[in-house]
Amino acid sequence: MTVAAGTVATRTPPCRTWPKGSPPMSAADPLLELPYGTVPDPDAFLRAAIRWHFSKETGAPFWLDRVGRLDFDPIETIRTFDDLKRFPNVANELREVRAEDLIPRGYGARPEIVGVFDSGGTTGAPKRVVMLQEWLDMLLAHSDAQLDAHGVPRGTNWLLAIPSGPHMVGASFQQLVAGRGGLAFAVDIDPRWVKRIIARGDRAEADAYTEHLVDQLQHPLRSQDIGVLMLTPPVLERLCRRDELVELVREKVRAIMWVGTQLDPDTRHLYRTELFPDTVLCSGFGNTMTLGHVTERPGLGDDDPCVYDPFSPYMTYNVVDLEARRPVEYGERGRVVMHYVGKSLFLPNNVERDEATRIRPLPGQVGDSVADIAPVREFDDEKVIEGVY
Amino acid sequence: MPAAEPYPLDALGPQGPYRARNRETVTDTAGRTVAELGLVPRLFVTRALTALRRATPLPRERRLTALARAARVFREEEVHGLTYEAYERTVARVSGIPLPAVRSAADEIADSARRALAGAYGALPGGAVLDWQDARTRTGSAVWTRRGEVLAVNAAGNHPAPHALWLEALALGYRIAIRPSRREPFTPHRLVAALRTAGFADDHVVLLPTDHAVADEVLTGADLSLVYGGDDVVRRYAADPDVLVQGPGRAKILVTAGADWRAHLDTMVDSIAHHGGMKCVNATAVLVEGDPAPVARALAERLAALPSLPAEDEKAGLPVQPVERARTLERHLLARAEGTTAHLGGAGVVDELVGEGAVLRPAVFEVPHLSGDWHTVELPFPCVWVAPWSRSDGTAPLGDSLVLGVLTGDELDDTDAELIDELVADRTIRNVHVGDHPTHWMDRSVPHDGYLGEFLMHSKTVIRG
Repeated sequence: MTVAAGTVATRTPPCRTWPKGSPPMSAADPLLELPYGTVPDPDAFLRAAIRWHFSKETGAPFWLDRVGRLDFDPIETIRTFDDLKRFPNVANELREVRAEDLIPRGYGARPEIVGVFDSGGTTGAPKRVVMLQEWLDMLLAHSDAQLDAHGVPRGTNWLLAIPSGPHMVGASFQQLVAGRGGLAFAVDIDPRWVKRIIARGDRAEADAYTEHLVDQLQHPLRSQDIGVLMLTPPVLERLCRRDELVELVREKVRAIMWVGTQLDPDTRHLYRTELFPDTVLCSGFGNTMTLGHVTERPGLGDDDPCVYDPFSPYMTYNVVDLEARRPVEYGERGRVVMHYVGKSLFLPNNVERDEATRIRPLPGQVGDSVADIAPVREFDDEKVIEGVY
Repeated sequence: MPAAEPYPLDALGPQGPYRARNRETVTDTAGRTVAELGLVPRLFVTRALTALRRATPLPRERRLTALARAARVFREEEVHGLTYEAYERTVARVSGIPLPAVRSAADEIADSARRALAGAYGALPGGAVLDWQDARTRTGSAVWTRRGEVLAVNAAGNHPAPHALWLEALALGYRIAIRPSRREPFTPHRLVAALRTAGFADDHVVLLPTDHAVADEVLTGADLSLVYGGDDVVRRYAADPDVLVQGPGRAKILVTAGADWRAHLDTMVDSIAHHGGMKCVNATAVLVEGDPAPVARALAERLAALPSLPAEDEKAGLPVQPVERARTLERHLLARAEGTTAHLGGAGVVDELVGEGAVLRPAVFEVPHLSGDWHTVELPFPCVWVAPWSRSDGTAPLGDSLVLGVLTGDELDDTDAELIDELVADRTIRNVHVGDHPTHWMDRSVPHDGYLGEFLMHSKTVIRG
């Protein structure tokens, strides 16, 4: 199929180069470049994005190469977010594709890039995306607003025990902390190595790795003015085995942000009541295939599940019954399907390995909110173990 | 027990009862909900163990007074809204242990609380004293001291009686964290609550129900651990000097050629079927020097007469299980029994009670030889493998036994004495009962699987002055 010319409002040809800090006149629909806080009409925004990604002047080679294999014309057919399910799930192709081919041509030759980032890569080759500064600015504006709503202070230093390198979260939070007026102290994590240790059932090694992280955290906790701590629940739990560190956190840290895995409500309650009653405790949920993270919905009670609202309309979630191909009821568990629709990337219909509870969205939000995200569980048959115990 | 609402079984933490949001349903053998057990998260365990380690134990006299008081509370009084009578019926309903066995186990726990030192001091070396201020340290003496401060118990749910054991550790000044079995958490909950009522502080003894994933946290966070389990558990902790495993029992009876086995038939049947065959000290094999067939026939005839009754019945003697679990055990039994001659239970052992789960009826299989290892199969109901044995087989097939009963002629001849010498010397046989004593015979003053005190305590030299 061909893309009809004239469907894109090209005002000026894109510049080839420009000095950093002064972007060129954009070829994109203004709907794709709204400042943070101005929420576009979702379907109008979607149509503008589709025009951008499927026009040969502005689209990325990745999509322009694939458009011929679709059995529909995206620009003609995709009118609402519900139509996104017509797209195949191309996420697996992100394991092999040239990273350059993911960047829309409309950005010209030298767009400002934060980095190339990988999915977790538990099995086989990781999926890869390119993050543009323009999008990160938008994401961090949203993040800042969410953290402010939780009462996470600005102008304070963070201690981060999160993955750097190929993982998006490290680079994103370096910028986030700087933007909030603090210094970022980091302890590195290699999540792929951790997953490998756990997969081979080497508990002692997994414990030793976590202990190694806590060993590194103690130094900045002792010597620096740390106001915010960002880490995974297992690391926080292990940190709490050391009374000295519990005291240091109580004394210095005003907010703890946990990420990476789930934290059960009982443990969360213990942190909020017994261990760190004067500290803000909130969580973040990130996904590379939606180019970023969100913070939990502010104002949740102790017995509420941990709810995440996507940064709609850019990131959106659907919680579905995969076999029946329809949404599950609110409050029910289902597989999470994620979409990213933005100027820098279009990645619809990515079916995650995770399950979540479907939660009613906030007013004006596209798709579902989610809670209790966890890998699909498997059950074994009962086996007889001989003996009386 | 009020039928309308499940009984809340909360963790008993170092600051009092703790109601977890994560709750698991405890059902009876018919599948009816009986209780809701709160499962604590890992962080709660970590903090609780820290609190136990910080706590100062009661002085010895007060510990013993509190233990004796706890015996009465546990056996007679209302604890957390549950009378003793309601407690024993609930345990029978939930675990399927026959009611008389539950009562006997409760008596055993109460007796242990009253006389914990009888067992605990059994391990005291002859040369050691209990206090560094004892006059004997003036010229140098061994002083018996704790190897740690906090003992974790990963309890079994097969039977309440093992809870009698760790009371010795409490008597010796340990602080204790019990992880109850999720199948039968009532006994340790009641016992810990009784100990608190009787004078132990909340940070002296805690009940930490957890899911499987957090169980290890209870063990690794304590100084020493007492763990119940099968061969896999024994293997896992074999190299760990801080974990004492109470493994499979595989108790056996040897009938020598000189024994008049008919005269000991009551003792053999009792060894097999006592408390429904659910304890580690129940005999699971009878080895006969001579023809095993008549012994197997006689045991089958006697065991067949046991009635199928609900576990709560005052006359119950056989275990009850949920039908599905009973069927799973039956399938396993019949698969394992291939190649043997069935004297009882060859067509199955499950006897379904209407709306009450299923009784596991006794099984007696005669095995052709010892090399098939049938005689090592231990199942949680009266199930016995009767095998031929000759002196040329040696003592190896009699090994790996928590208890070995030896039935001989009235007069021990020299070859019998030599054989018993070897059995007493065998490290894989933990207890030897010669003569007309059932395999489940126990006394507070003798060790059950070594003295617990051998694991908990050590001797150090003190000299002063």
